[in-house]
Amino acid sequence: MEFTLQLVFAGICVGSTYALIAMGMSLTFWTTRTLNFGQGSLLMVGAVAAVGLLAAGMPAAPAIAIAVRLCALLLVAVERIAIGPLLKSGGTMGWVVSTLGFGLFLQGVVAKFFGSQAIVVPSLMFDSLAFVKVFGVQVSAQYLAILALSVTLMVIMEIFLRYSRWGRAVRAVAHDPHVAELAGIPVRRVVVWSFVASGLLAGVAGIMVAQITGTVDPQFGFNLIILGFVAAVVGGMGNIAGALVGGIALGVAEKLAGGFISTAYGDAMAFAILMVVLFVRPEGLFGQREITKV
Amino acid sequence: LTSVSRVRGAAKKLLVVGAEGPTPGGKMHTRLATFWKVLGVLAFSIAVCLPATNAGAQETVRIGMTSALTGPYNEYGEGARRGIELAIEKWNSNGGINGKKIELAMLLDDQLVPDRAVQNMRRLLDNKELAAIVGPAGTGPALAVIEMAELDGRPYINPIAQTPTITYPSGGKPRVNVFSFGLQNDVEMRMQAQYVVSRGFNKVGLLHESTAAGVSAAQIVAGGLKAQGKPSPVADESYNQKTQDMTAQIARLQRAGADVIIYTGLGADLAVARRTMARLNWLVPLLANNASLSPPYEEGAGDLVVGTLGSMIAAFGKDSLNPVAQEFAGAYKAKHTADRWWGSDPARPQLSMSLTVANAYDAGMVLFEGIRIADATDAKTICTAVEGIKGYQGVNGLYSFSPTKHHGVTEKDLAIFQYVKADGKIKLQIVKD
Repeated sequence: MEFTLQLVFAGICVGSTYALIAMGMSLTFWTTRTLNFGQGSLLMVGAVAAVGLLAAGMPAAPAIAIAVRLCALLLVAVERIAIGPLLKSGGTMGWVVSTLGFGLFLQGVVAKFFGSQAIVVPSLMFDSLAFVKVFGVQVSAQYLAILALSVTLMVIMEIFLRYSRWGRAVRAVAHDPHVAELAGIPVRRVVVWSFVASGLLAGVAGIMVAQITGTVDPQFGFNLIILGFVAAVVGGMGNIAGALVGGIALGVAEKLAGGFISTAYGDAMAFAILMVVLFVRPEGLFGQREITKV
Repeated sequence: LTSVSRVRGAAKKLLVVGAEGPTPGGKMHTRLATFWKVLGVLAFSIAVCLPATNAGAQETVRIGMTSALTGPYNEYGEGARRGIELAIEKWNSNGGINGKKIELAMLLDDQLVPDRAVQNMRRLLDNKELAAIVGPAGTGPALAVIEMAELDGRPYINPIAQTPTITYPSGGKPRVNVFSFGLQNDVEMRMQAQYVVSRGFNKVGLLHESTAAGVSAAQIVAGGLKAQGKPSPVADESYNQKTQDMTAQIARLQRAGADVIIYTGLGADLAVARRTMARLNWLVPLLANNASLSPPYEEGAGDLVVGTLGSMIAAFGKDSLNPVAQEFAGAYKAKHTADRWWGSDPARPQLSMSLTVANAYDAGMVLFEGIRIADATDAKTICTAVEGIKGYQGVNGLYSFSPTKHHGVTEKDLAIFQYVKADGKIKLQIVKD
């Protein structure tokens, strides 16, 4: 029983970071119907920037604030340079290549200035030895802090999107940008702010995941983005509750499969889940089927 | 240069005569005669120069190399380049090989990506001027190129890659032209199996990366335990490189009741494993492979490294360095200073330098010694000469080769080390020589 609980707790905590990544991807998907394949590198930039500023002697709070803002700024630049112009031309899938290229570009820049080797990430909240007993099982305090932060951020985001004016504007743009524009919603600004929020989430997620691994290198985030994408699709693309459930389900399934079947099947399990969910519910667990009137 | 000045002198004369010719008809005649003279001198000069250029080519021993010069694994690839270059400088400063200078004529970057290594190897093998090839700095790319290199027949130096099949494809006879200077998995894992048996551990758990190197290491440990009449490992867990979390792997090892873990992988991943062990408050002895006792582990795990055991080439861990190691250390520090490859102690290189730079240095030194003995640049003669080398003192050990033994480092060159903390500093020290 203790073995199972250990796996489940680890799965929930690690899965919550997948959920955060999934939510970041969902935000920009809502407003532009595109996916940022460079999001993984953005996680890396968030962690590297925070580490760099901490190493320069800056206190943790401003270092994290600057690092996540840098991610937001970079993502706005991506929208301006790599996504917006391609969407104007219509019908092109060029944004797949341009966002992927953006990710590789960021990797190259970081490798150039920080080197290709892993950089040590200092523990910001707790160290690896700190733990809490839950149902008699030792759970890492670091993991619990990450879970708490992820869930809090997602709840805030859900409340914001559901009850604030801007949140309703985002949903309106997601539903139909042309009608939203006719209704006087500043679509362009909504799109830009969705990228800002997505960048902020990527920065936070990067710093949190780096707390688990203890190091960050230019390739950091590339695997994570695949798992974040799977979580978003499983939960239902563009649904925050779906991203949370999808991420946690994926994390738990990954750990349980690794623990009970074989550790070699951890990643394979993620994609098996994706295929089963898409077969049973093509719109994802929490997604809504789109109905087109003709 | 003499020929060039003669041509210049004749040309000047032509111009002077042309300008001051005594009569119009005589002027034309003189011009033509001078033209033919110049042409003759020019033709003679070319005839003299051409063989001189070819002779020049023979006066240089050219080698080619593909390695991970950039990318996440350049710790090994760039290190190998530095080692080879230091060996070349050492030989060239002593007059080269039988008077011929050595040149690293082609240096290509594969970033440890097998596809790129194959492309690079094709380019190297297409250059017929190269007398020998230095292969990639990892098992994956080395396995990808080894058949091509074997088919080509020129001496192929494997500076780092640890899988035995690179050198011994079927476990017995070595490839004729392949010589290894890394710490072969079988050598290291057999030693680790002997160590855990000698310490009385009965429930061995294996944790390794899912690469060919990791899987083969696990098989060798299991075979080593069996050979000593011990039970099979209680658990055999794998992970993908750069994984973020190893809870499932560590929990399975814990559930199986392992009393020691033998780890094979890279340093950054070992840091993740060690941190996960700490999170689960499960602290059994951890015996790691040489590649993981490196700065990425020390930096990634911090104080948690204390107590970790590991096998490693003993050269830089001994109380006093052997004379070749001393000379190598001096040359490295003079050229590169006490940098990342050297380590934090300015007085002596860190242990891992044995497998990032010193191994390639030794590889170069042995190769050049082989070429010196062969006094030729044809592949077969050089390979036979290297096979004849016995008791050649290198940085990492005493090298002896034969027609059936093509790897340099043996169990005698290794030791078990342990991370200890003394005077606030963490360092590795020998626990068993």
